[in-house]
Amino acid sequence: MKRKLYTVITFAKLNTKRYFRDKTAIFFTVAFPLIFLFIFGGIFGKSGDVSFRIALINQSDTHIATTFVDEAKKQTKLFKIDDEATSMAAAKEKMNRGELDAAIVLPKEFGTTQTGAKTPTGTAQIYYTQNNQTAAQTLAPVLNAALAPINAQFTNTDMPFKVAAEQTNDKGLSAFDYTFAGLLGFSLLGLGIFGPVNVFPELKKQGILRRYSTTPIRVWQYFTANMISQVAIGLFAMTVMFAVAIAVFQLNVVGNIFELAIFLALSIVTMLGIGLAVGGWARNERQAAPFANLVTFPMMFLSGTFFPRFLMPEWLQQVSAFIPLTPIIDGIRLIATEGKHFVDILPQLGIIGIWVILIYCIAFRVFRWE
Amino acid sequence: MLMKEAKDILVVKDLKKVYGDKTAVDGISFTVKKGEIFGILGPNGAGKTTTLEMIETLRPIDGGEAYLDGVNVAQYPQKIKSLIGVQPQSPAFQDKTKLTEIIELFAAAYGEKVNVQEFLEDVNLTDKANSYVEQLSGGQKQRISIAAALVHSPKVFFMDEPTTGLDPQARRHLWELIQHVRDRGITVILTTHYLEEAEMLCDRVAIMDSGKIIALDTPKALVKELLGRGFKKAQHVEQANLEDVFIDLTGKALRD
Repeated sequence: MKRKLYTVITFAKLNTKRYFRDKTAIFFTVAFPLIFLFIFGGIFGKSGDVSFRIALINQSDTHIATTFVDEAKKQTKLFKIDDEATSMAAAKEKMNRGELDAAIVLPKEFGTTQTGAKTPTGTAQIYYTQNNQTAAQTLAPVLNAALAPINAQFTNTDMPFKVAAEQTNDKGLSAFDYTFAGLLGFSLLGLGIFGPVNVFPELKKQGILRRYSTTPIRVWQYFTANMISQVAIGLFAMTVMFAVAIAVFQLNVVGNIFELAIFLALSIVTMLGIGLAVGGWARNERQAAPFANLVTFPMMFLSGTFFPRFLMPEWLQQVSAFIPLTPIIDGIRLIATEGKHFVDILPQLGIIGIWVILIYCIAFRVFRWE
Repeated sequence: MLMKEAKDILVVKDLKKVYGDKTAVDGISFTVKKGEIFGILGPNGAGKTTTLEMIETLRPIDGGEAYLDGVNVAQYPQKIKSLIGVQPQSPAFQDKTKLTEIIELFAAAYGEKVNVQEFLEDVNLTDKANSYVEQLSGGQKQRISIAAALVHSPKVFFMDEPTTGLDPQARRHLWELIQHVRDRGITVILTTHYLEEAEMLCDRVAIMDSGKIIALDTPKALVKELLGRGFKKAQHVEQANLEDVFIDLTGKALRD
């Protein structure tokens, strides 16, 4: 047994060494996911606020209208004002193209005092397309709120009922937390599936695996060696991703690092099983590639790699919960950013456990050395 | 009988391999003596490689049996694997692996730890010890491959067309190496296309055609038998050929 383990350890050690000498491999496992991290981190990284792109068309020249526009421009968190759309026609065109969510028009009489009235009045008009009802529903109260201080100036009364908003110190999950867990999932697909699926047919083509089969090494030894080296490589790649996410995107890791590392190792082993099954079965690239795509695409789109699963319809969420990558991505997020422990994520661990057994049973059965 | 058992390292009886309706190996029988260099000759598709692969446990045996060092090949493939060393037709190794690591890796495949330098010395590759395998020439790759196949001191060493694609210097060097392996008491079984190679290197040769062994003897005896049947070459044979000229002009020194 000791000799059999020596075989495993030596193969694992040399696999790992080879990886760190191979710049292309490092690029695809570390740099490639990092590029995605920067792209997606840039999109979702800012904050979780709803942002609208609007046109603000001021047709009035009153002081009140100008004050309103200045106030609106300060609300950068809520909406972004398009500087180019200054006429209704231009705004409409942009709205139709989906570039703008709504147009706010201050009509000519906005802020003027009508005959017989004591105070100046005006109605700001929100225009929106059929597809953008949410924008209007959100903007109307926002604009009302923006007008409140102006109203108060004229009516000079203190409103009896108010809503006060205050930030708590607990940091809720931001969109980036979801994005980051998803990106780790994407990186796992590369490490566990695309890597072996590309490498194995090549090793078979050159007769390298066939040569191993003339030695007494067993499939389980070869698989275990690959698991160990891939876990080592994967943990290295993920450590880099966590470091960048923490340093650049203020990711807040609250979970137990030790539990996280074990969970990530388990995740790598799970995904590697799929890679070993497909790459180990395929005789050549032509067999491997379509099969790999068939297996990875559902995971890529349904497990929450690029967009969170809570955006999916209910039935799809329920179905996709059982895809192997889903409990992995959920588990990473639950441990890393929500500080959950293994006892809290037993359902996820259960699904992963079942998959690991199933996947490796298949992988052992279909593996061929040539 | 007991004497014969001890002397024959490989006994093949009525060995068969069938692919669909094509019989690749058609019931061949032969024995290989301990410590000899045994050649299997034949045109492409004669069944040489398939025969080797069955004995190497790489292909299932469809009929007949083979005993290597008294062990039934079909019954105990795992045991056979530790008794044999295999040199494939075109040896390949994973890139970014140093030569020392190749020896380490193959020794580990047999569960062993060896003195790596010693093995590199055997095949004249000590100065390349820390090079990556992809930086080697064809001849050097053959040599590291031989070293890798011998890490566990096998009893029988199988080589499939070992000198195909090598230049004359590298080929001569490889012949010496093969003889050196034999001198260490390892039985060598090889296939080849080159008849002068078989003549020079092999103690006995089997000539295969269409899955059958059509002749088996020492090269000398086979030639004698042919001459005895009144065979004469059409062309007058000189005492040297073009290869001798080439070696005379370019020297025997290795070029890699």
